[in-house]
Amino acid sequence: MELSTAHSTAIRMKLNINKSALVDAVSQVSKAVSSKTTIPILTGIKVQADEEGLILTGSNSDITISVRVPKKVDDKEQVIVEKTGDIVLPGRIFGDIVRKLPGDKVEWTVNDRLQTIIRSEQAEFQLNGLDPEEYPRLPKLPREQVFTMPADLLKSVIRQTVFAVATNEARGVLTGVQWQLESGILTCVATDSHRLSRRQVKVEGSEDLVLKNVVIPGKSMNELAKTLADSSGYVDMIVADNQILIKNNHLEFYSRLLEGVYPDTNRVIPKSGETVLITSTKELLQSVERASLITREGRDNVIKWTINDGKVQVTSTAQDIGSVTEEVIAKVTGPDLSISFNARYMMEALRSIDSDSIRIQFTGVMTPFIIQPADREDSLHLIVPIRTR
Amino acid sequence: MDSIILLVDIQSFYASVEKAHDPTLQHLPVAVSGDPQRRSGIILAACPIAKSYGIQTTDTLWEAKKKCPELVVVRPRMQVYLDTSIQLTQILERFSDQVEPYSIDEQFIDIKGSEKLFGPPQTIAKKIQETIRNELRLHARIGMGPNKVLAKMACDNFAKKLENGIFWLTHHNMKQYLWPLPIERMFGVGRRMSRHLRQMGIRTIGELATFPVERLKKRWGIHGNVLWMTANGIDLSPVSRTTFYQQKSIGHHITLPRDYRTADEIRVVLLELSEEVCRRARTQHLMGQTIHVSCRGANFDIPTGFHRQSTLPYPTNQTMFAFQHAWDLFLRHWDEQPIRSLGIHLSKLVSDHKMQLHLFEQENKRMKIGYVMDEIKRRFGDTAILRAISLTPAGQALDRAKKIGGHYK
Repeated sequence: MELSTAHSTAIRMKLNINKSALVDAVSQVSKAVSSKTTIPILTGIKVQADEEGLILTGSNSDITISVRVPKKVDDKEQVIVEKTGDIVLPGRIFGDIVRKLPGDKVEWTVNDRLQTIIRSEQAEFQLNGLDPEEYPRLPKLPREQVFTMPADLLKSVIRQTVFAVATNEARGVLTGVQWQLESGILTCVATDSHRLSRRQVKVEGSEDLVLKNVVIPGKSMNELAKTLADSSGYVDMIVADNQILIKNNHLEFYSRLLEGVYPDTNRVIPKSGETVLITSTKELLQSVERASLITREGRDNVIKWTINDGKVQVTSTAQDIGSVTEEVIAKVTGPDLSISFNARYMMEALRSIDSDSIRIQFTGVMTPFIIQPADREDSLHLIVPIRTR
Repeated sequence: MDSIILLVDIQSFYASVEKAHDPTLQHLPVAVSGDPQRRSGIILAACPIAKSYGIQTTDTLWEAKKKCPELVVVRPRMQVYLDTSIQLTQILERFSDQVEPYSIDEQFIDIKGSEKLFGPPQTIAKKIQETIRNELRLHARIGMGPNKVLAKMACDNFAKKLENGIFWLTHHNMKQYLWPLPIERMFGVGRRMSRHLRQMGIRTIGELATFPVERLKKRWGIHGNVLWMTANGIDLSPVSRTTFYQQKSIGHHITLPRDYRTADEIRVVLLELSEEVCRRARTQHLMGQTIHVSCRGANFDIPTGFHRQSTLPYPTNQTMFAFQHAWDLFLRHWDEQPIRSLGIHLSKLVSDHKMQLHLFEQENKRMKIGYVMDEIKRRFGDTAILRAISLTPAGQALDRAKKIGGHYK
């Protein structure tokens, strides 16, 4: 039987595409498509076929992800565009359909009434598209403030900072990661006012470029890390007034920036400490994890360290549950100290550290302490203690 | 021997206290009512003479006057009632050290072991009643039972209706007296619960007592079990000065003296309420992690209003921090119509003995300022230090400092 309704009208777009390339691209942009939005067209994925191949775009009010499927990858044909054109398809259902298509090849036709036919082996889907003219245009960011770094480095910078942002929306600018650039050094800081993480990396770009108070939402950072999961090579960062664009050859990731002035964190980071502790990252982490088994049930997750005589005694007690005590061998200099803090902050900081051994510097029992990899200065975590009575 | 628990209840408490203080009111119908100008104009208590005209608690003053034009209306004096309640406790403590105030006019007393001093239980009950009459000139009704729940039901269902005001409900006589009563008369069964029970074919307390407890548990969980135990006169809770009652939340709700129409006015009261709630939290060394805001619209014909809650980033008892979240919450849900009442609660309470310090020093200072303000108020009076906004026309703090439970001290 002939499904002829779409055939009597003019062709708007036509192409053949490799299914797995399409599935990858759709799952990438789907991260930006939200099911609930005040702008209905943003529940859709925008598709553009041009001479270079296919571009998919998904967007919500915070981020926009645009992925290009090139005509060829390593001499392998991925897309053959017979007629260039564009369409917006409902995001969720389009994604589900693409993933479940039976064959390796997908044949795709759109007519000028925006009706879309997607064919793969014995399956043929007919989808009603939306008018691409309605879809918001991507912002054109001026390429004045640009710098470059390897994708792998960017991912590790994100991983080592973003967990420290405040999660409650009411915390405003603290829900983001602050980026500052000066003399080719990018400083990334995140804090929820109870702990802080900072990472500094060298980036490529104009030596004169100075960036202050660029604050990227923590959620965008997490999505960016996922989007870049399989990327290698270099990415460009383009910073504008209220947007940032991170891009490489086939990917564009836009995020809005947070408004408001990020607090001056340089003032609150102590320069050194009286009591200094050097020990194995892994052993310390495991001891904190064990201590936390007791306290996380009691909600506040407070553990106590008593530091003296070449060891850290880790204790925690939860009413009605029980208690735990253990010792970790450490190299200790300076006066003895006893300090309480939230175990979760410590675990998150230690898990993000790649070095085998760490150095912790204490300034007092009521003031923040600094955790750093023992072998480098470019990474720093800070935890504010809990006052106990 | 087994415990014998008495529930001592004072008849028409506020009204009776007023009559006891002013003998000229003795044979007149007397009611205690708030100020109708300030919307607290409902009957809080009516003496038996006033009740004989059909006046009930919660009638509006206007309704009450219609039922009984010669009604003598007295403004409430909350401090006097509180003091009287404490005197009552002191009287009861002469008979036993196990006394538990249950409400302002109801107290439990366990008289186990007091027989050798005061005689058999019935005699003790009579002596208590006489002492209260002689010293406070108040009429006490006394329910007796082997536990608190039977004492309470003995009082509410029988003692209050008897001339001598004393009734003893035991596990032996409860089948005869308690079980035939309709289910609504059982302690803990409200209008809604009675409807559910009646739909299950349970019409009397006895029918509930003999109903398979498993089915009740299946439907209401622990509460189903408690209902069944109550019907069977089983109650394991002891009489104690500090009932093992873990406070779940701290809150205040205020009925405004007039409709508040603008955000600026409402904001003032919400901040004052935040201060009161946080002050109570600080005094009890607690912090809360959930903030609740509730309000009621001014138009009674179209009931509006809301109750919303939100989780704070961390537990707090800091006034401005709690207020800012409460205010955000209010603005998000307010329909911009005038409001009649406003409330704020702090829940998910934790001790302030472990307090997460802040990275930014001004936050740590803000945490301390509340405790300092509380200390000033404690030493020099509730109005010794106020926020400036409390002096604006919308402010209620000065007026509230003179009140207990919404009525003048």
